[in-house]
Amino acid sequence: MNLWKEFTKGFIKENPVFIMALGLCPTLAVTSSVKNAIGMGLAATFVLTCSNMIISLIKNLIPDKIRIPCFIIVIASFVTIVDLVMNAYTPEIHKNLGLFIPLIVVNCIILGRAEAFASKNKLLPSLLDGLGMGLGFTLALVLIGSIREILGAGLWLGKEVMPDAYIENPMLVAILAPGAFIIMGLLMGLIKLVNKGK
Amino acid sequence: MSFITQIFTLAVFAIFVNNFVLSKFLGLCPYIGVSKKIDSAVGMGMAVIFVMTMASTFTWLIQEYLLIPYELEYLQTIAFILTIASLVQLVEMVIQKTAPSLYKALGVFLPLITTNCAVLGVSILNIQEDFNFLGAILNGLFSGLGFTLVLVLMAGLRERLEKSEVPEAMKGMPIAFVIAGCMALAFLGFSGLNF
Amino acid sequence: MNYFIKLGLVLLLITVIASGILAYVNGITADKIKANKVLAEQEARKKVLSAASRFEKHTKSLPAVKKEPNPLKNVEVTGDRQFVYYLGYDKDDQLAGYTFVASLYGYSSEVKTMVGVDLDMSISKIKVIEQAETPGLGANAATADFQNRFLGMDQEQLKVDKDGGAIKSLTGATITSRAVTNSIAEGMKNLKDAVNGEDK
Repeated sequence: MNLWKEFTKGFIKENPVFIMALGLCPTLAVTSSVKNAIGMGLAATFVLTCSNMIISLIKNLIPDKIRIPCFIIVIASFVTIVDLVMNAYTPEIHKNLGLFIPLIVVNCIILGRAEAFASKNKLLPSLLDGLGMGLGFTLALVLIGSIREILGAGLWLGKEVMPDAYIENPMLVAILAPGAFIIMGLLMGLIKLVNKGK
Repeated sequence: MSFITQIFTLAVFAIFVNNFVLSKFLGLCPYIGVSKKIDSAVGMGMAVIFVMTMASTFTWLIQEYLLIPYELEYLQTIAFILTIASLVQLVEMVIQKTAPSLYKALGVFLPLITTNCAVLGVSILNIQEDFNFLGAILNGLFSGLGFTLVLVLMAGLRERLEKSEVPEAMKGMPIAFVIAGCMALAFLGFSGLNF
Repeated sequence: MNYFIKLGLVLLLITVIASGILAYVNGITADKIKANKVLAEQEARKKVLSAASRFEKHTKSLPAVKKEPNPLKNVEVTGDRQFVYYLGYDKDDQLAGYTFVASLYGYSSEVKTMVGVDLDMSISKIKVIEQAETPGLGANAATADFQNRFLGMDQEQLKVDKDGGAIKSLTGATITSRAVTNSIAEGMKNLKDAVNGEDK
C-alpha cells in the first residue's frame, strides 16, 4: 500500500466535494468567507482524522450488525469535542459556523470514509486517509470561499483585494444563497471539463 | 383566531422564507441526488416529512426530559443523532413490511435519511428557536414540507432538462446546482415577508 | 437472545465511554464558554463608552405591556418588563456615562445595538452587535459609516430623515435604518426616565 498515495488521493483525484459530491451542505453554507471556510475545513479534518483512527483501532471489536451506530457514536463524540473547544477558544468562528458544527456528524464524508476505509484498514493508512480527505475538503472549501468572498465583497480573509470602486458595489449575489449554488455548479462543470481534457 | 394565525405564519416561514434547502442549505445531498425523477422525489419527500416530524417530536422530548434536567446538554449531538438513526431504522423496517414496492423504489436512499442534515438540523433548530412541544412538531412538519416542495419542483425541472441540450461538462450535477441557484434566487424574494 | 444482549452491551459500553470523555471535556470548557459571553458584552460596552473602565448594572421595571402569547414557543409572557442599563465609571470612579442595548425587529431579523450615552444624554457611540439583515443593504447598519451618523445625537434628533429626524438612512435599507434608530430612541427615553427616577 502506497502511503503517500493514500494521503494525496483526497486532494484532487478523489476530492470529496468536487469528485465524490459529498459534504455538500456545509460546503455551500460556510463558504461566504474564507475565514469560515478554513475554520470548518480544519474542524471537519480533525473529526475525520480522529474518528478514522479510533474506528481503525476498534474495528475488530465491533459486531458487524451494529457497526453504523458505533461509528456514529465515535464521530458524534469528536464533533462534540470540537464544538465545545471551539466555543471556548474561538468563539467568533464558532458563532459564524453555528449550526454546521454539530452537523459535521452527518457529513457524509466522515461516515463514508469510516465505512469504506477505516473499518477495513490499519491505523496509519486510516490516519493518512482521514487527513488527506479532510485537507482535500478544506482545499475545496477555501477555493469556493475565495471565489465567493472576492466576488461578493471584494475581500480575501477580510483584506481588500479589489479596487475601491468594486468594493462599493460588489457582486452581492455571490455571498448569498443563489450565488453559492450557481458558483458551485459552474465550478463543477469547469472541473469536469478539465478532467475530460486530460 | 390568533392560534391559527401563528400556525399559518410558522408554515409560511418554514416552507418559503426559511426554506431548508434554498436558504438554510440543509438537505442538499438528497436534493441533488434524488431529484432526477418526480416519482422518487415524491416518495423520498414523504419519507423525509415523516422522519423530520417524528424526529422533532422525540428529540424535543429527550432535550426537555433528559438533557436539561440532568444538565447533559453537551450530549445533545450524540443523543439526537442516535435517536434519528434508530427512527430511520424503524421506518425502514415498517416500510419494508407494509409497502414493499416503495421500499424497493427508495432503495439505498432510505437509510441515507439518517445523514440528511435537514433532519438533525431541524431537531437542533427547534431547541435553539425556543419552540414548545407543539411548535417543534409543527416546525418539523412544515420544514419537511418545504424540503419536499423544492425537491419535487427540482425533479420536474430536471425531467424537462433531459430533453434539452445541456453542454457535456455541465450535464448532471453542475446544471442541477445552477438550477438550484435560480430557484434560490426566486425564493430570496420571500426574505422580507412579515405579518 | 444472547446475541442481541451482546450487541446491546457493546453499544452501551461505547456510549458510556464516549459520554465519560465528553463529560470531562465539558468540565474543562464550560467555564471558559460562560466567561467568553460576559467578556464579549463587556468589550462591546467599552467600545461605545471609551471613557469608562467599570460598569454597574441597573434595572428599571417598565409598565406592563399586553403581549400576545405565541402558542408555539416557550417565550415567557409575564407582564413586567425590565429595562437594563449600565452606569459607566472611569478610572477615578467618576460617573462617565451610560450604556444600554436597543433591540427591534428590522427587515428579516432582530437588530441589537449597544448604545453608549454621555452624561449630557447625547449619544457617545453605538455598535450594532447582532443582526441578520440583507448583506449589502440592511447589513451595512453594522458599518462604521452608518454608526457614525449617530455620534452626538440627542433624543429629539433620533429619527430617520424620512420621519423628520437627523439620521440619514441607508440607501435601500429604510426598514433596517428605522429599526435601529427607533429602538435607540426608545432606549434613550427609558434611560432618561430611569436616571431621573433615581436621585444620584
